[in-house]
Amino acid sequence: MTIVFQPKPSRPAPSNVVGPAAWLRQNLFKDIPNTLMTILGLYIAVTVVGWVLNWAVFNAVWDADNRRECLDMVGRSGACWPGVAKWLPNMIYGLYPKDQVWRINLGFLALIVWMIPLWMGGVKSKVAIGLSAVLLYPFLASYFFLGGSKGVVWSALIALGLSGFVWVWATAICERVTGLSVGEWIGRRFAGATEDVKQKRVRQIAALLLFLVCYGVVSQWSLPGVRTQLWGGLFLTLVISGIGITFSLPAGILLALGRRSNMPVISLLSTLFIELFRSVPLITILFMFNTMLPLFLPEGTSVNQLVRAIVAVCLFAAAYMAEVIRGGLQAIPKGQYEAAASLGLGYWQTTTQVIMPQALKIMIPTIVGNFIGLFKDTTLVSIIGLFDLMNMARAVGEDSDWLGLFIEPFFVVSLIYFVFCFAMSSYSIGLERKLSAGRDR
Amino acid sequence: MSRIEGAKKVIEITKLNKWFGPFHVLKDVSLTVRDREIYVVCGPSGSGKSTLIRCINQLEHHQEGDIVVDGVEVEKKGKNQALIRRNIGMVFQSFNLFPHLTVLENCTLTPTLGLQTPRKEAEETAMRHLERVGIADQARKYPLQLSGGQQQRVAIARSLCTKPKIMLFDEPTSALDPEMIKEVLDVMVELAEDGMTMICVTHEMGFARQVADKVVFMDGGEIVESDTPEAFFANPRYDRTQAFLSHIL
Repeated sequence: MTIVFQPKPSRPAPSNVVGPAAWLRQNLFKDIPNTLMTILGLYIAVTVVGWVLNWAVFNAVWDADNRRECLDMVGRSGACWPGVAKWLPNMIYGLYPKDQVWRINLGFLALIVWMIPLWMGGVKSKVAIGLSAVLLYPFLASYFFLGGSKGVVWSALIALGLSGFVWVWATAICERVTGLSVGEWIGRRFAGATEDVKQKRVRQIAALLLFLVCYGVVSQWSLPGVRTQLWGGLFLTLVISGIGITFSLPAGILLALGRRSNMPVISLLSTLFIELFRSVPLITILFMFNTMLPLFLPEGTSVNQLVRAIVAVCLFAAAYMAEVIRGGLQAIPKGQYEAAASLGLGYWQTTTQVIMPQALKIMIPTIVGNFIGLFKDTTLVSIIGLFDLMNMARAVGEDSDWLGLFIEPFFVVSLIYFVFCFAMSSYSIGLERKLSAGRDR
Repeated sequence: MSRIEGAKKVIEITKLNKWFGPFHVLKDVSLTVRDREIYVVCGPSGSGKSTLIRCINQLEHHQEGDIVVDGVEVEKKGKNQALIRRNIGMVFQSFNLFPHLTVLENCTLTPTLGLQTPRKEAEETAMRHLERVGIADQARKYPLQLSGGQQQRVAIARSLCTKPKIMLFDEPTSALDPEMIKEVLDVMVELAEDGMTMICVTHEMGFARQVADKVVFMDGGEIVESDTPEAFFANPRYDRTQAFLSHIL
């Protein structure tokens, strides 16, 4: 006679294991050293926060015409904000003409609007939208920021950026409503659902039409030119680090793949590039590009100083990113390559579909860490005379009205940097959580 | 074994030699597998059995000897490996599923990407194979949410989706719990009965008895003996084989 095995039912955990009281006891008041640490931590937090609040809010001066007035009122025990307020536009926009500042705002707003579909439900072409933001938006933005006269090629590129913007939103709306991308929808609407070849032609014609309309718009559109020498503040910091970040990831991926390549020449060149740029400080690279690059260029040609700085930052960031990506690649088990190979996938198919998605996912924290580092490293461009956010902050204390006012602008700059870096870091943590949901053991 | 006699030779290996650095892993190995034939390869670890089947689909490159797969000579430096691999499916000891893709996506990746099958058709084929290995209801899950046995069955289905003529199994049950070994072996038995040509590196002697046409015993990089399962288990000729069998049976 067999006995039927009956598993015991699970009981709820006892109350000293779960619940907020248990959490407090477990984490904050577990034993005497633990309790002492908790009290000490609380004491330090309260003192520091109190001190900062007193200085920045309660004792601060909000209305004054120069630093002398501030000092007469509260001495050094309170912050002197009027100087920062007066300089704030410069800290954000640099010396950009006041009546043109709307172009910067609109340019960044365009980027935000461009990316909104990435967070909308029901949108399927998210990869294409993301790629378009990286590849096409810069053309549109550069005209917003630079303005000035434009030739045929330059106009065509700007028109490409504008068509990209129109396409992104057309596709986003179309996919939400009909479930088809705008190209597919137009194809079906004007060529019938079954005519593949005809559909393709209709789509090509539609794309061409869109481009021509955009070109027409762009050719009628003119903005006065603003020399890059006038760019500065947060705006300049965002331009340099934005380009650096968007360039460094793809370039880093290619360099990392190159370093691991079986082809000795490619591997050697990638390794050389990476090691060269990694073993020289960014300041040195900036100096070299700034002072030595013109020596190598033919007489008469000159490269914009901002461009020189951006190129230097990009190459430096790419070398660092390459090593991060290589670390991720190293972590992928050999079995993944073997499985892909045994299924008959080629090198690029294996890399793009099997290896990279996994490697990038593992390295998200480090990649974003690098982005944050790069964002902050752009402060070094002040050394070659660009007025980025940091340099602008220093300029406040050199203004004759506010002579010596350094702490306040630096405090504000720190806050601005903190907001951006913390946003990046939070986004990366959210992304990690989203990507690993249900996929880990 | 009348059903095999005279059938087409799908794999023909002659005088295969391979070295890992100075270490001679495969020594003059010759093996002929005919259409619909099931080979079981066994032997102690380090005997070269995995390397042998990995040479067939060129995960390892050999230095001497010839391998002909379905009438195509395998070139030594892997120059035509893409062509060779198209006809061969492989199942690994550690499953090697792609953890970032769902079970279904694992199965449709190669057909849609490498063989350019339309997505819908690829998904239908994949679901058919997943049903065959009894795992269709898990198609939307990620591999690491499944048990080892389920993962290995997905790996088999994934291989079948590329429509291979030959299946290679590299110790498919060695990383599994006893209860899971059976579910994987059942799928393999069914595959064998459906007429797939298979080479299995395994120590599951019950499986060998049940479906194998030939059992091959390897040691020190050589094929020691190769015989029908009846003869192999009843009276092995070499003392080395006898000793090995006495350990694992």
